Amino acid sequence: MKQLTDITTPFDDIAASKTLPGQDIDWLQQLREQARAQFQRQGLPSKKVEDWKYTSLWALSQEVFTHEAGASQLDEMRCSQTALLETAYRLVIVDGQFSAELSHIDGLETGLTVQPLSQAFSKTKSVLGQQVTLEKAGLNALNTMLMTEGAYIQVTANTKVSKPVELLVINTGETDKLATHLRHVIDIAENAELTLVEHYVSLADDSVGLTDVISEVNLAENARLNHFKLQHESLSHYHVATLAGKQASSSIWHTNNISLGAKLARNDIHSQLLGEQAHVTMDGLYLVAGKQHVDNHTRIDHAVPNTTSEEIYKGVLDGDSHAVFNGKVIVHKDAQKTDANQSNRNLLLSRTCEIDTKPEMEIYADDVKCGHGSTVGQLDEQQLFFLRARGMNETSARSLLTYAFAVEVLQRISDMPIRQALSNVIETRLPRGV
Amino acid sequence: MTEQSQQLEAITQKEYKAGFVTDIEVDSLPPGLNEDVVRQISLIKNEPEWMLEWRLKAFRHWLTMETPEWAHVHYPAIDYQEISYYSAPKKKTDGPKSLDEVDPELLKTYEKLGVPLDERARLAGVAVDAVFDSVSVSNTFKDKLAEEGILFMPISEAIQEHPELVKKYIGSVVPHKDNFYAALNSAVFTDGSFVYIPKGVRCPMELSTYFRINAANTGQFERTLIIADDDAYVSYLEGCTAPMRDENQLHAAVVELVAMDRAEIKYSTVQNWYPGDENGKGGIYNFVTKRAACRGESSKVSWTQVETGSAITWKYPSVVLQGDNSVGEFYSVAVTNNMQQADTGTKMIHLGKNTSSTIISKGISAGRSQNAYRGLVRIGPNAENARNYTECDSLLMSDTCGAHTFPYIEVKNPTAKVEHEASTSKISEDQLFYCKQRGLDAEDAVSMIVNGFCKQVIRELPMEFAVEAQNLLGLSLEGSVG
Repeated sequence: MKQLTDITTPFDDIAASKTLPGQDIDWLQQLREQARAQFQRQGLPSKKVEDWKYTSLWALSQEVFTHEAGASQLDEMRCSQTALLETAYRLVIVDGQFSAELSHIDGLETGLTVQPLSQAFSKTKSVLGQQVTLEKAGLNALNTMLMTEGAYIQVTANTKVSKPVELLVINTGETDKLATHLRHVIDIAENAELTLVEHYVSLADDSVGLTDVISEVNLAENARLNHFKLQHESLSHYHVATLAGKQASSSIWHTNNISLGAKLARNDIHSQLLGEQAHVTMDGLYLVAGKQHVDNHTRIDHAVPNTTSEEIYKGVLDGDSHAVFNGKVIVHKDAQKTDANQSNRNLLLSRTCEIDTKPEMEIYADDVKCGHGSTVGQLDEQQLFFLRARGMNETSARSLLTYAFAVEVLQRISDMPIRQALSNVIETRLPRGV
Repeated sequence: MTEQSQQLEAITQKEYKAGFVTDIEVDSLPPGLNEDVVRQISLIKNEPEWMLEWRLKAFRHWLTMETPEWAHVHYPAIDYQEISYYSAPKKKTDGPKSLDEVDPELLKTYEKLGVPLDERARLAGVAVDAVFDSVSVSNTFKDKLAEEGILFMPISEAIQEHPELVKKYIGSVVPHKDNFYAALNSAVFTDGSFVYIPKGVRCPMELSTYFRINAANTGQFERTLIIADDDAYVSYLEGCTAPMRDENQLHAAVVELVAMDRAEIKYSTVQNWYPGDENGKGGIYNFVTKRAACRGESSKVSWTQVETGSAITWKYPSVVLQGDNSVGEFYSVAVTNNMQQADTGTKMIHLGKNTSSTIISKGISAGRSQNAYRGLVRIGPNAENARNYTECDSLLMSDTCGAHTFPYIEVKNPTAKVEHEASTSKISEDQLFYCKQRGLDAEDAVSMIVNGFCKQVIRELPMEFAVEAQNLLGLSLEGSVG
């Protein structure tokens, strides 16, 4: 088979021809140039790369994407219906372009900055490009050379933001095969606190497109970020995302990654625990059916002593779907007293689905408590019988048990409105809905 | 350094006890590898034409392959032209007919290692096909086994006497194209054991063989083939020690097991090759391909291993569960100390219906060693109701060692139930305190805790092996808690 790197993807030409925002910023231009050189060398990763063993970008590499979005007609009403939260600061990106009319980022409380990235590049130097490396096989280089829009969010020290921020990324489907390259930069200063929802959605059921996004997070001492990601794009869409953060001491990062849509969805989530007492929670849920392919790669680096991590990823697979989970926990040398727990549980509902799961641990310190578990199974016949015996029909019983399996991931969410909103979304997406 | 860790340091620094060199005249090929060497080995072995062809095919394929680099181990590149591919103890006219005729130097070697070759063998009920470097020199209990129709002989002999069996099964589980070292082995293997248990026969004794790498700079390429026909049972033991050497020695063995309908094979290994000194100088490279095929329905294969030696261990005893209702088991204790590196685990490939597998892996790392578990559980689309249970635990004994887990789980059938659990921890202060408070010294306490940690695996070993294994564990680890 031909290596993917041998295939000329049109991305490179676009980077050369297109006028990208931030032309006047030297360090940014340099970064883009480096990224371009790296992408020319590396191309898209092939299945021979261990991290991409179960996920092929072949189909993606064969698509010819456009990078010019036509004008889209999206009214305030439709936008509000699409949003996950009613009460929230909202930054809306439609077909890769920031929409000032639809966004609610005026009158922010003091200490909070939410801006479209295209207008804020100059402020991002300390974070942008710092959490991800261009060398890593994947799409970091691609994103860096082509990023055009995104959100810049900054919370100043000691600010506890009262309302959540929702980044609403909408694909209208009006431009066929539109590729969008987004970069979010989230910088939380000492003792500050923020709740953030990244929300990716398609308005048309069968629109083809590519969402390529990297979120870079920087948490200063004692900062806290509740970070939700909900992806329900069209079933013909490609979604490749990286979520990478560096955490200083006593910072807390809760990530919750819910993947429902897209034909191919790939998430790389990476936390570096660089200060003592830092904690990360990485939870995730994927519900896939039909021909969907979802791949979650998580990595937690315990770089210093006394850090903790917790991780639960759950999946429900139906139809011909294919799910991949790879969770890596690395306890570096001298990172004593690390406490890391990881679990991946999968529920298979159909004959033809496939799951590949690989919970990895690399441990270079001795005084640690690390565990991981992973299971693959079906609905319990006895539980089903119990419900049937009480008069519930087969479909409802199955759906109820599936729902019960899935929502465990949401139970650690302390923010009730968000938990409720997410569980509502999950309910509608359950196979053979109640 | 605390008093306790000083004590323990002293124990972990113990020298390798089986390190001695036996001085016997050796027939060797000069170092180097090319088609002529392959032909020459075949000639020395007086092999039929098809065997030579098979070797050459493997050799030509090997030339096209690249050294695999995915394992979590680091070592300088091996120069395959520097290795001598054949060495045999000097032949006396017709070879030894009884123990008296065996080179006394050789017997002494075995004695030092505690091989029950003579009277002790009968008492222990063990038939030994002792492999000294590459040629088998003595077989015991052959008659007794022959009565039952069991074939237990060096594979070179089997090629002469039972070519139809060898031809049918060799390479059928591990084809020469399988991997780099399997291809190399197929081209240049010099000897190994061959076992055939006919239909309905239960092998009356534990079969065992001792491997010992002796001549300097000879890689040892063993080839073992065990076939259990319908309703047969066999338990095979393999134990290894090697004398002290400063240069790294390559060991690339291939072991193939075939279990037919309702047959059962139990394969136990205690591996104690020279691990190199505390600075990682010397030691054996142990790159082994071990695989079993459960061809028949309701067949069963069980791998049990205690790995304490070798500078680098790289092996994944696997089971391909083809027959319906077949069972695969893997029990492993891997101990690494000083600069040792181990990347070991298993593969369970479920193809048949109602197949089940169990994996229990215990890794213990001390010193500056790296110990990785790498396993694959694959449930094929036709493996209805397949079941797997995996448990891999790591025990860390120093703050400079590493313990890693890379389990791959691939499921293509929804009726499968797969469970994987892993934990990593160290011996807690509380446990130690509890034992010491009851009058055990630190050393015994650690030994007891480690043995408890490994019990699930040790109890799967045949009796006489279990004792040896426990001693080994003690030797390699006693109190390396820091």
